[in-house]
Amino acid sequence: MNDQLRAISGLDRVIHEPGRLMIVALLAVVKECDFLYLLHETEMSNGNLSSHLARLEGAGYIEVEKTYRGKVPLTLLRLTRAGRAAFEDYRKALKAAFLAARSVRESTL
Amino acid sequence: MKDELQNYLDRPKRYENIDGTGEMAMGVMMLSFALVCYLSRALPEGWGKNGLATFVEFILVVFIPIWTFQHWGVKAIKQRFTWPRTGYVACRCSGLRWWTVLIAGVALGAGFGYLMVLARRSHALSLERAVWMVVLLAAYAFFVLRWSREHTWKWLVLIFMALGLLGIALVVPGGAVESFPPAALFLGLAWLGSGLGTLYLYIHHTQLPAPEGA
Repeated sequence: MNDQLRAISGLDRVIHEPGRLMIVALLAVVKECDFLYLLHETEMSNGNLSSHLARLEGAGYIEVEKTYRGKVPLTLLRLTRAGRAAFEDYRKALKAAFLAARSVRESTL
Repeated sequence: MKDELQNYLDRPKRYENIDGTGEMAMGVMMLSFALVCYLSRALPEGWGKNGLATFVEFILVVFIPIWTFQHWGVKAIKQRFTWPRTGYVACRCSGLRWWTVLIAGVALGAGFGYLMVLARRSHALSLERAVWMVVLLAAYAFFVLRWSREHTWKWLVLIFMALGLLGIALVVPGGAVESFPPAALFLGLAWLGSGLGTLYLYIHHTQLPAPEGA
C-alpha cells in the first residue's frame, strides 16, 4: 500500500460521514441557504439534520444565523472559510487516494 | 471527475429552475424581442434612424419587461411558492460567473443588433436564418439537458419547438429578418408555457412542510 492510499486514514472524519458530506457539498456551492433547503435536498429527518449541523458548527465549518422572514423564523446556514478549506482538502485527498488505488490495481493485473 | 459528489455540487444550479422561473424569464425575453420587432414595423418610417428613439424603444419594450420579471416576478414566485416548500438558497456568484454573464449579455445584444441591421437589408440569406434558428433551439436544448432528469417531458417541448421553427421557416417567406418576429413570438410562448408547466407540476408534487411541532 503506497503513501497516497494510506492517506485515506487521515481523511477529515467530521466531513467524511455521509450525512455531513452531503451538507458540506451542498453548502460549498452556495452563498447561503436555509434549513428547509438542506432538509429537502438531503432528505434527512429534522433531528438528524440538526445533529449533523451542530457537529459541523462545533468544528467551525459552518455558521448558523437565526433570523426572520417577516414573522416566520428562518435559519440561514453558510460554510465558513475553514469549512471551505477543509472540504477542498478532503476532495483532494479522496481524489488522490482513488487514483492511487487505481494505479495499485493496474500494477497487480 | 464527474462522480456522485460532483452531481451533488451541481444540484443548486438545477434548483434555480425547480419552479420554472428560469424558463419563464427566457420566455419573457423572447416575447420582448418579438414585440420590439413588431413595433418597429408598426412605427412610422424613419423612426429606426433616430438612435435615441431606438434606444428608448429598446429600454421600454425589452429591458423594462425583462428586468421587471427578473426582479419582481421571479421573487414573487419564489417567495409565494418555492421558499416555503423546498427552501431558500442564494447561489454563490464567483468573479468568473459575473464575467460570463457580462460576455453572454454583450453577445446576445450584438446578435440582436445584427438582426436589426439585417432588418434594414432586403437580401437576407436563408443560411443565416437556419443558423440563428439552430442557435435559438440550442439554448433550449441546454436547459433540457440540465433538467431532463427531473422533467423528461421537456424533450417533447424541444421537439415541438424544432417542428414549430421548421414550420415558420417553411411558411414565412423571406430571409432571417422576416421569420425572426414570429419565431421569437413562438419560442417566447413555448418557453413561458414550459416554465408555467414546471411551476404547475412543482406546486402539485411538492407539499408544504408541516409546521414545527405539528
